[in-house]
Amino acid sequence: MALVSLANVTKSYPSPDRKGPPLVAVDDVSLDIEAGEVTGIIGYSGAGKSTLVRLVNALEPATSGSIRIDGREITGLAERELRDIRLGIGMIFQQFNLFDAKTVRANVAYPLKVAGWSKAAIAERVDELLDFVGLADKARSHPDQLSGGQKQRVGIARALATRPAILLADEATSALDPETTHEVLTLLKRVNEEHGVTMIVITHEMDVIQSIATRVAVMDGGRVIEHGPVFDVFSDPRHPSSQKFVGTVVKGIPSAAELAVLRERHEGRIVTFSFRDGDASQARVFVELAEAGLEFELVYGGINDVRGRAFGHLTLAIRGADAAVDAALATIGTHATVTEAS
Amino acid sequence: MEALFDLAPEFWQAAGETLYMVALTMVFGGAGGFLLGTGLYATRAGGLLPNAGAYNVLNVLINFFRPIPFIIFIAAVQPLTRAVIGTGIGTNAAIFALSLAAAFAIGRIVEQNLLTVRPGVIEAARSMGAGPWRILRTVVVPEALGPLILGYTFIVVAVIDMTAMAGFIGGGGLGYFAQLYGYRQFEPVVTWAAVLLIVVFVQVVQYAGNWLARTVLRR
Repeated sequence: MALVSLANVTKSYPSPDRKGPPLVAVDDVSLDIEAGEVTGIIGYSGAGKSTLVRLVNALEPATSGSIRIDGREITGLAERELRDIRLGIGMIFQQFNLFDAKTVRANVAYPLKVAGWSKAAIAERVDELLDFVGLADKARSHPDQLSGGQKQRVGIARALATRPAILLADEATSALDPETTHEVLTLLKRVNEEHGVTMIVITHEMDVIQSIATRVAVMDGGRVIEHGPVFDVFSDPRHPSSQKFVGTVVKGIPSAAELAVLRERHEGRIVTFSFRDGDASQARVFVELAEAGLEFELVYGGINDVRGRAFGHLTLAIRGADAAVDAALATIGTHATVTEAS
Repeated sequence: MEALFDLAPEFWQAAGETLYMVALTMVFGGAGGFLLGTGLYATRAGGLLPNAGAYNVLNVLINFFRPIPFIIFIAAVQPLTRAVIGTGIGTNAAIFALSLAAAFAIGRIVEQNLLTVRPGVIEAARSMGAGPWRILRTVVVPEALGPLILGYTFIVVAVIDMTAMAGFIGGGGLGYFAQLYGYRQFEPVVTWAAVLLIVVFVQVVQYAGNWLARTVLRR
């Protein structure tokens, strides 16, 4: 059974002027998340990602549908019961949301106090957590004395304090520079691998998905339009909206503007070949083009690595007789995805 | 100058009365205002304990009483003062009126300062399973402590100003002293002595408030 199970979940807000139709932030979403997985939630801003995640720990009540955490239905629970559910779900934020008035130690201790732990147990657990995130020497510091990466590590320690089974991350690395992002992602990966914490990670950064996610859900207009293993969704997005979004974060797919520039600079037909994983088709493409006597040059491209599996896109400018090019593309089309820029 | 030396005992007594009135007003009005402001903050729409009825009552109450000039308020509230204190005149009667007026002003200032707490911090506390009362007590108030101290400092200065009108109902204090022995006796030196002492009070209060807020904020 899935650890987190959403069935036909909708969240709508009354329209601001109370006259228009309600604003639907999450629209009929069904999503199962298995224990131990790291699920990335991607999509443009306003797609409903943040709202969806806040339904999981009931910071926002769902308008309709069913949400089960570890088999327990949480919709319709009283606020007091929801607080117990939240103790089992950690959350980290883009802006860290640390308590500025408290020391690092007191920040990490806070959820434990809420959970009613004894003083001695809290002290021991906080030491353990600060060691885990590598901030034992900052216990007495206040958040404004820390760097962004350190703040997020405190946020992670605080979110994990009560040993939750689930960790929600809302753009947890979006306010960090690339190096610090890497540091925080490495830590999150350890959280998942060493402690088996199931994670739901909202992001718009490909790095985050590539380095920690096992599955990915693409949201658009409040709906989950695609959900599956990261490699499948990124190497071969099915839905037009996910293709568009994936195109913006995946290396190697020229945008419309870039295509226009390519066409101006290079003679011939501009064709993109997409490859997935182990198939040897990349070599075959070049062989077949050469055998057809066509002249070609590589004008754009990139290969992506998702947990050891590669996929990529190569854009070539091909010159030769139209009929010969058509014939070659037809042959190649049998083993690789061919997209000719129109 | 001579008049001032002759009046030294009255001067120091008046100074004592002012300090006494300010101190007790800050205790009672400060506590009342804190409850009012926290109530407003918590009950507002989207707040920790949203309650439109309670919010509107508090809001209207504050908006009704706060704009009344204190010299009028002190007279208007006299029947209530008599009922509570037992007399409508004197220093204690003045403290009652001062506390009431200060509570309404402080209520608004407390509300505004609590509103500066970032919603994300409250969301974080909620995500850890903390309830609204706990969040108010252990997150909202501590996070807003620096600005709250500055807000209270601002109010102490305003209360010093208000105590000058306590003489109107026999409350004494430096304002009354300056009126009685300075203004009416054509002794500007006496008036200015009261002014100087009040300025000293205000400076000390402001300095202490700033220092305390800085210590709390560690900046």
